[in-house]
Amino acid sequence: MKNKIYEDLSLIRSRAKLTFVFIEILLIIIILFFWKIQILDHKKYWKKSESNRIREIVQLPQRGLILDRKNRIIAKNKASFKVSIIRENSTDIKESYQKISSILDLDMEEIGRRVNKYKSIPDFLPIVIKDDLTKKEVSIFESRKIEFPEFVIQPEPKRDYPNKICASHVVGYLQEISMEEIKRGKYLRKRIGELVGKTGIERECESILAGKEGLVREVVDSRGRRKGEISRIAPKKGRNINLTIDLSLQKKAEKLLQGKEGAIVALKAKTGEVLVLASYPSFDPNKFINRFSPEEWIKLANSQEYPLQNRAIRGLYSPGSIFKLVMAVGALDSNIINDRTSFFCRGSIIIYGHLFSCWFKPGHGSVDLYNGIKKSCNVYFYQLGKKMGIEKISHYAKILGLGEKTGIDLSGEKSGLVPDPKWKRETRNLPWYPGETISVAIGQGPLQVTPLQIAAQTALIANRGKKVRPSLLLDKTKRLSFPSVGIKAEHFEKVILGMWMAVNEKGGTAIAARISGFDVCGKTGSAQVISKETAHKLAETKKNEIKTHSWFSGFAPRNDPEIVVTVIVEHGGGGAVTAAPIAREIFKLYRENYAR
Amino acid sequence: MLDRSLIVNIDWFLIGLLLLNSIIGVVMIYSSSHYLPGNFFFKQMSWILVSIIILFVLLLIDYNFLISYALFFYSIGIVFLGGILFFGKLIAGTKSWIKMPFFQIQPSEIMKIAIILMLTRIFAEFKQSHLPWRTGLLSGLVVFVPFLLVALQPDLGTALTYIPIFMGVIVLAGINKKILILLLICVLILGFTGWKFVMKDYQKQRILTLLFPQEDPLGSGYHILQSKIAIGSGGLLGKGYKKGTQSQLRFLPARHTDFIFSVIGEEFGFVGIFFAILIYFLFLSRLFKSLLDSRDRVGVYIVFMVFMMIVGQFLINIMMTIGLFPVAGIPLPLLSYGGSSLLTNFIAVALVLNIKMRRFANV
Repeated sequence: MKNKIYEDLSLIRSRAKLTFVFIEILLIIIILFFWKIQILDHKKYWKKSESNRIREIVQLPQRGLILDRKNRIIAKNKASFKVSIIRENSTDIKESYQKISSILDLDMEEIGRRVNKYKSIPDFLPIVIKDDLTKKEVSIFESRKIEFPEFVIQPEPKRDYPNKICASHVVGYLQEISMEEIKRGKYLRKRIGELVGKTGIERECESILAGKEGLVREVVDSRGRRKGEISRIAPKKGRNINLTIDLSLQKKAEKLLQGKEGAIVALKAKTGEVLVLASYPSFDPNKFINRFSPEEWIKLANSQEYPLQNRAIRGLYSPGSIFKLVMAVGALDSNIINDRTSFFCRGSIIIYGHLFSCWFKPGHGSVDLYNGIKKSCNVYFYQLGKKMGIEKISHYAKILGLGEKTGIDLSGEKSGLVPDPKWKRETRNLPWYPGETISVAIGQGPLQVTPLQIAAQTALIANRGKKVRPSLLLDKTKRLSFPSVGIKAEHFEKVILGMWMAVNEKGGTAIAARISGFDVCGKTGSAQVISKETAHKLAETKKNEIKTHSWFSGFAPRNDPEIVVTVIVEHGGGGAVTAAPIAREIFKLYRENYAR
Repeated sequence: MLDRSLIVNIDWFLIGLLLLNSIIGVVMIYSSSHYLPGNFFFKQMSWILVSIIILFVLLLIDYNFLISYALFFYSIGIVFLGGILFFGKLIAGTKSWIKMPFFQIQPSEIMKIAIILMLTRIFAEFKQSHLPWRTGLLSGLVVFVPFLLVALQPDLGTALTYIPIFMGVIVLAGINKKILILLLICVLILGFTGWKFVMKDYQKQRILTLLFPQEDPLGSGYHILQSKIAIGSGGLLGKGYKKGTQSQLRFLPARHTDFIFSVIGEEFGFVGIFFAILIYFLFLSRLFKSLLDSRDRVGVYIVFMVFMMIVGQFLINIMMTIGLFPVAGIPLPLLSYGGSSLLTNFIAVALVLNIKMRRFANV
């Protein structure tokens, strides 16, 4: 190796060097070209760059309409204008604030706060200052366009809920997207300042309703004059959504609840389509869309009556005597009784050394299953509870859909509570006392249910054991299937007879819900008010004596069930007095509207 | 494996210039994309880091060893380029990319290294003063096959970057003037048939707009015109970092990739352009110097091909920004955003460093 002579590379090196020289010359020529463009022609290009600005105009899509099952409008859009500031075009930002605050009657500081919220976005992007301008305001801006290069007026479809408070808990409302939500990437296609569904269907179906925004990119000069269009993507309207809600029933339900606190749920018995989902007191979602007045929202959020709370899916109540239906189904299915098994009611009974009373002090005498349900006899169900034991009771409560979410298309649904010894050990570290079983047997104790759960359970009974899933979207319900819970139809038949007697026979507790010729079957309930929250509230207001919550849940007609109605009125007293007559009104209107 | 004398002979100055240019790239990428989602700035930094590590790993391996596996690398490259045509997914209109869990890679970029190694293999023992027919055709074929596969992706821009490598090798080998003329005729015929049958409309448009950029300022002449406005409006000193209206207002297309040089022109003016070219020229000269230091034929060939590869793209790219070349989608090596291109150039420079540090050891 050592003595190997280096190759003679001079020839190829000289060729390489020649190429290099050639490239050097080329580079010098290129630099001269840059000289020409940047130094000699600078003025020409500078002017062009100044007159060359791209303006991106976002065209908001029309949000999809929300319609009821008969295509009546629940949420629509109306034309409106908003004003935005482009900071780049402002010579003195303070002065701009002053100008606009005098026109719009807005506080200067508030405008400043709002603009500062979006400080980090580039200067040439508009920041919305006020929406839903009046015609007068729009005309002021339009007439003084030249004076105000920093303000732009843009049309924007504005959400409008023509029925005001009607179905507001179902539909929900829109609010401006927050900076954090954008950073978290929750809404990928949204921009700063846009409105998104914050609750209800507006939130659940955001992606369907929102549509796609359009974008026009145009060339403008430095004074904002349009010079040509580069590209245009038309906005794509969001899809309409048909809810299963029946607007006339919904309105009726809300009217019936006026002045009260409570909820009404009505379902199509066989499919679980939600016809009515009313919660009262309610709110007007039109008031939230305004970007600038959070006061209204804060006022409602802090109100003692919880108007923002959707009681139908989030209100937790003791089921009271409604729970006796679960007891009856469970006792029949586990062969503890048959329909002719009777117990004697003297108005009270001593079990495990405690006195348990029936609501009817003189006593019901000899009571079988049918009369037990019809007259809602506590003693009869105390006996069932004693024989079944808590484990069986909770087993059947769960089979009939309590203690778990119904799966409706709204978020925030509560699952309620079906107690058993294990639950008590884990949460309170106490053993289960046999006496508690007796309370649970008539729907008191730690049991908690939502009105929607009771409605779904009533539908299950009406369908003789087929479980439905409540649904708000009309397209979806067509694809659902309804599994059987595995309890014989004959047991349900017996319970249903009891419910029919409660409404239609003399002496039945739910007779106030009777409609001749419609075969309503139902059960009332009066739930003792036990929750701390409510007790606390009552202690504060002091105007109400502590009255029980009034329940009714039922369906009609008996043999071919069409509609389920569940009503709860907080502090309404006995179910027979308050809830059952309200349910009757709903059944009646349904029958008028859907008469075959 | 790596004794002290080798480490002493590493060309740190060349590495320094390589990094300096890459960092200028990162700074400009930040200016032109900081307001966009995608985090290009951070991604490019990560690619530089990865590329440096690979560069130093490659220094451990003797270049002669790499050359002995040239056919192997080349075949794998062809298989990938062929496979991607059949199984690849379209990304941004071409099938150029292989998607990996955290990044995507462009095999057509890395292929340049395989082509360089393969051509070196052919010319390693070539000692004639002029290039004979057979060798010329063979080397032409080595470049033409991947060229065709990449052009079919369709990514004519990247395919075109193979041409300077080929030109380098035939110039070095001493091509007959007659053959050179014949080749030019071939290119003309190819160009004509290509125009007629192969080229997509957008590519034809690009060539037409090179000739008549003012015709349709908002259409396809848009790119060149906007780039020229950006550079021209920069003037002597520029509009200042992150203050270029053409770039910041998204007027300039492909700001952080193909037109990064226009951003330099707009924000730092003629002075900026001059120094950017100067720094790049220093890097290229230092690279070229390795050729003069090299003691064997293999070394000279490799260094010259790497030089031609980078200089070719550099010239085409900056000529494109002022309308002296059609918009071909060729990035500016080291400065433009893009991991595959960056990695390829680092590997190529690693080859040159490798030759220089072993110039005494391998004789």
